[in-house]
Amino acid sequence: MLVLFSGVPAHARRTPSALTLYTFSHPAMATTFTLYLYSNHAARAAEVSNEVFEEIDRVEQLLSNYRDSSELSRINRNAAAGPVTTDAETMDFLVQAQHWSQVSDGAFDLTVGSLMKVWGFYRHQGHVPPPAELASIRTVTGWQNIELNAAERTVRFAAPSVELDPGGIGKGFAVDAAVRILRADQISAALLSAGSSTLYALGAPPHRSGWRIVVPGPLPSHSTLSTLTLRDSSLSSADCSQKNFVADGHQYCHIMDPHTLQPVEGRIQVSIADPSATASDALSNVLFVQSPQQSLRTLAAYAPHARALIVSGAANQVFCALFRWDAPIDPQHCPLLQRSSQNTPRKPSMP
Amino acid sequence: MNRRAFLEAASLTALASSPLARAAAPAVKPVRLGVIGAGSRGQEDMRQFLRVPGVTISAICDIYPPRYAQVNRLAGAEIPATASYTDLLSRHDVDAVLIASPVSCHAEHVIAAARSGRPILGEKALGFTVEDNQKIVDEVLRAKILFQIGHEYRYAPWVKEAVRRICRGDIGKPTHVEACWNRNGDWRRAVPSPDPGQKLEHLINWRLYRETSGGLGTELGSHHIDLANWIFGEQPESVLGTHSICIYHDGRTVGDNVQSVFQYSGGRRLTFSSLTDNAKSGNQLWVYGTEGSVQITIEDATFFYEKKRSNQPTADKPISKTIVERGVVTGASYSTAGEMPYRGPGERVETGPAGDPTLDSIRSFVEAVRGEHGIDADVHVGFRSGVACSVAHDAVFSGNRTPIPKYRDSASLA
Repeated sequence: MLVLFSGVPAHARRTPSALTLYTFSHPAMATTFTLYLYSNHAARAAEVSNEVFEEIDRVEQLLSNYRDSSELSRINRNAAAGPVTTDAETMDFLVQAQHWSQVSDGAFDLTVGSLMKVWGFYRHQGHVPPPAELASIRTVTGWQNIELNAAERTVRFAAPSVELDPGGIGKGFAVDAAVRILRADQISAALLSAGSSTLYALGAPPHRSGWRIVVPGPLPSHSTLSTLTLRDSSLSSADCSQKNFVADGHQYCHIMDPHTLQPVEGRIQVSIADPSATASDALSNVLFVQSPQQSLRTLAAYAPHARALIVSGAANQVFCALFRWDAPIDPQHCPLLQRSSQNTPRKPSMP
Repeated sequence: MNRRAFLEAASLTALASSPLARAAAPAVKPVRLGVIGAGSRGQEDMRQFLRVPGVTISAICDIYPPRYAQVNRLAGAEIPATASYTDLLSRHDVDAVLIASPVSCHAEHVIAAARSGRPILGEKALGFTVEDNQKIVDEVLRAKILFQIGHEYRYAPWVKEAVRRICRGDIGKPTHVEACWNRNGDWRRAVPSPDPGQKLEHLINWRLYRETSGGLGTELGSHHIDLANWIFGEQPESVLGTHSICIYHDGRTVGDNVQSVFQYSGGRRLTFSSLTDNAKSGNQLWVYGTEGSVQITIEDATFFYEKKRSNQPTADKPISKTIVERGVVTGASYSTAGEMPYRGPGERVETGPAGDPTLDSIRSFVEAVRGEHGIDADVHVGFRSGVACSVAHDAVFSGNRTPIPKYRDSASLA
């Protein structure tokens, strides 16, 4: 899903305060990261963007399951044989992932590596696996197979052939790391997006209260579903439009339900805003996998400050569930609305 | 359970029966590390050290205070920090020292650490000047300490296997090494503003200034010089170099591109080139021999064979009509020869999944500290590449062919 930042032209624009908007892009993690940055020096903006993208590259080297030399691949290779000692940052990543697995009852699960492979999503060669192949990975899919000792910084797999896949959380973790660089460099206004997955709005553009973000509606119209203003917050979104395959006329989504070992059905798209990009990235998977009712309960219990929008159903009957989502919703996209108790009821309308 | 509570639970080793505690590693002899120089490379080294069971970081030394918080985050703990390396070396909880300061500080820091009697992992290049390199070796030998230079590719399995096969004669006589490390970026780090007198600029972007940096030839090329030294079995005799500032006219005083030719005995050569405005060729090294070639990268190594070798009958296939040429199986009537570069696959060195060479080298250092084995990339290895870097750094400014001195054994001279 394409989440759009709007409000200033794509090219650099000078403001009365002499801050200029610079735009940089960088390929990493199988997507394109884009950094919108306000600065009063072009050279300074370029230096900061270099640091940000170096940090993203560093996190990719840490977490990529496509690179043999990454720390995550080393864990995948060795953790079934015995405890693997890792660094504090990787342990923090694993602990955060484990937390969201636990509180979502496995709706988010880092151990879907084998599951993604048998469905062919690892190499963009999607296919429906035979039942026997699916059955063979039942025992290696499940977050309980990851045994962590944070004090000792060790990780061990309880079963052989467990494979960690950072796809549902890694970009958010990278965005959080990059935002720390922006803050350390004393950048007051920047927007960093990891393709269509996760973005973070730091501060606000000059004379604005925040960054104006457009959440488009489901394909094919792609017209605006909602527009919200973000400041010091991430936004993660998930849908099936970019990674899927069609077999026998049925579209299979790349987001898996770890319980059924099947692609999720019935969810169209989700968006969630949270101060932590790591959390919003993981939670976007949770919201996609769980039923809307389950999702609202999960958010109320474990992410009470998040704001979420869940679009479910089919083309002819779409309904939306909202959690503290106070931005206007296009009623054409959401003829049926369900709000959590935390939501202030308001009539759907466009700005 | 909220996230904080979960994190606390994950830290409780007292939960002996929980899955959290079952992941604990077996006990090993602890190695407590002191670090001099906690910038970008020092932090990467520290991350790798923390991946070795039993290693902890006792303290760091850096003169740029923002590093302290970065290291605390990296280590997941509050690490004592100081701006004084003598304070760090006076601690009683440091078993080994990592030195990852700017190259112009290496001699001062390595010599002080050597005199403290501790094992040292020193980042490359060994020293900044010829004299620095000489003094470092003198002091390390005098102190009789373990010293490992940060030439991590000596520990990469595919590099070790490729060099073993080259030394065995698989590509005949190696005569030339062509190496490059090309990037597309200005090599700058962001500097806080304001910066009166450009003090922070020179502190943070020390790589860009001749007084503190060996430039691209040292910071990037030292690995390639070391591998050529390993393959040729000696250090280069002289170097001819050049450089210029082509793109980044930002006040830097080292080139944004450099080309050097290192002469070895018997007419053998290493050519090294580094660009910073085009990353097409990346970081790689080709070894050319009379009977074949090897491409070595940061992830793999691949052999290709010259026609004259592959056409020659062998003892087991005296009249075979199947020819393996440049890694390709062909018939006798077909040849891939010609003046076009060969673009097909070669014979990849199979050593299993490519791990991180820095982790491999650091793990080996920790094992050496524990007395499990010796050091491969020792101070002499460091000298042979370091002194070549020092001389090449001056040679690219003078444009003259400049001899590279060998280590003078001060102890035996005395």
